[in-house]
Amino acid sequence: MNAPIRVEALKLSRSLVGVIGTLALVLGTVALLCGITLSLAGGQPDLVAKMGPTATRDWAGLLSAAAQITAAGGLIGFGTVLAWLFGREFADRTISGLFALPVGRARIALAKIVVYLIWVVAVSLVLGLALLLLGSLFGYGSPDAEAWAGLGRQWALGMLTGAIAMPVAWVVTLTRSLLAGVGCVIGLVVVTQVAVLAGAGAAMPLAAPALWAMSRGTEVGVAQLAVALICAAAFVALTCASWARLQLNR
Amino acid sequence: MLEFENVGLRFRGGAGVQGLTFAVTAGEIVALVGLNGAGKTTLMRLALGMLRADHGTVTLHGSLMAELPASRWREVGAMVDAPLAYPELTVRQNLTVARLLRGTDPRLVDDAIARWQLGPVVDRRFRHLSLGNQQRVGLAAALQHEPRLIVLDEPSNALDPASVIVLREHLAERARDGAAILVSSHHLDEVARIADRILVMNAGRLIGGLDPATPDLERTFFARVLEDDEHRGCTP
Repeated sequence: MNAPIRVEALKLSRSLVGVIGTLALVLGTVALLCGITLSLAGGQPDLVAKMGPTATRDWAGLLSAAAQITAAGGLIGFGTVLAWLFGREFADRTISGLFALPVGRARIALAKIVVYLIWVVAVSLVLGLALLLLGSLFGYGSPDAEAWAGLGRQWALGMLTGAIAMPVAWVVTLTRSLLAGVGCVIGLVVVTQVAVLAGAGAAMPLAAPALWAMSRGTEVGVAQLAVALICAAAFVALTCASWARLQLNR
Repeated sequence: MLEFENVGLRFRGGAGVQGLTFAVTAGEIVALVGLNGAGKTTLMRLALGMLRADHGTVTLHGSLMAELPASRWREVGAMVDAPLAYPELTVRQNLTVARLLRGTDPRLVDDAIARWQLGPVVDRRFRHLSLGNQQRVGLAAALQHEPRLIVLDEPSNALDPASVIVLREHLAERARDGAAILVSSHHLDEVARIADRILVMNAGRLIGGLDPATPDLERTFFARVLEDDEHRGCTP
């Protein structure tokens, strides 16, 4: 298993998509938070109304806004990189070279997912550290216990958001299309937003992690988060099975 | 080493291959020739597990394809459709990727770089290489582990004359070492130089063989294809 993981890690670390994805997720979130904070400091009434109870210039406000950005933007960023990890083999036509190898295609697919998840954990950690630095720069002082818990939830939200993007890998495999994967990412975001607006967020595995982080763990329980992880694991299994049975008949 | 027994596959659109029966034995170079769309690439995909036959059996190293232990694929070197090379990686990194996926000796990468004269471009990204150099990297990646079964689809595409000679010598060397080699090509003169046998494919079927020593190979090939088309009633 070690060899395909090394190969996939090399490919992601040398790719422009990996670099841009990382920068977009970390710097993009930081830039948005800076904009929101500066607007709040400027007392923009429209923004204050839109942000609701999170429109505060303190750790709670910062982390709540970060959770909202991660819920949508993180899903788009993570999902796009995941779509590329799988879809590039079809787009670059390298998929034919992944046959007739002593390493099975299911293991190659699993290696892609392992490398993706390691990257998600790393990006989420860096984003958490960036938020810590940002809060300090904004003068929110040393984080208290509640802020540390919020930072922990933010890190977990990043990882859970990466996990719930997993259907993208399966869709790309079935369609052999990178664009279909990106379309799936957009679809996941839309479904999530609709579910939240319809009040079914907690029961919806796609929306549960974001609601959990934004409600500080009050509206979503461990069982609902576990369902989200089980769904992600199911799509990992489906993706690996599809790669194992893959044929180049299209 | 590689054996097809009455192999057939029909695609959804109707095209495909049928009744494919042939074998490539150790130490033998078999060339597959045919017009575009004859089914050469489909045959090669069937040989490498990229497609599963509707009927018939494909046997590799004495085992049915479905029962072949994963480790035996290490003895196969193939390039069909496109090289296993990633545009963002350098030549050396791409060869390392191929080596890692086969679990072979790291020194083989340097040997392949020397054999395929890739030294001047070894640290250049694959996307920045000329088509010919990309083809050489693909061939080096497919052959660096000295496989015992080689399957190459149009390997001389985009190669300069010097690289064609490297390819020809390498395949001859592998055959002398006992490798079985199946190679498709449009270049009949090139095929005549390297092949022990030539298989002619037309309309998804193997329609016979040609002797590489045939004086006017091109004329004989076209005559064979025309005869088959007439026999099938396809000629206008």
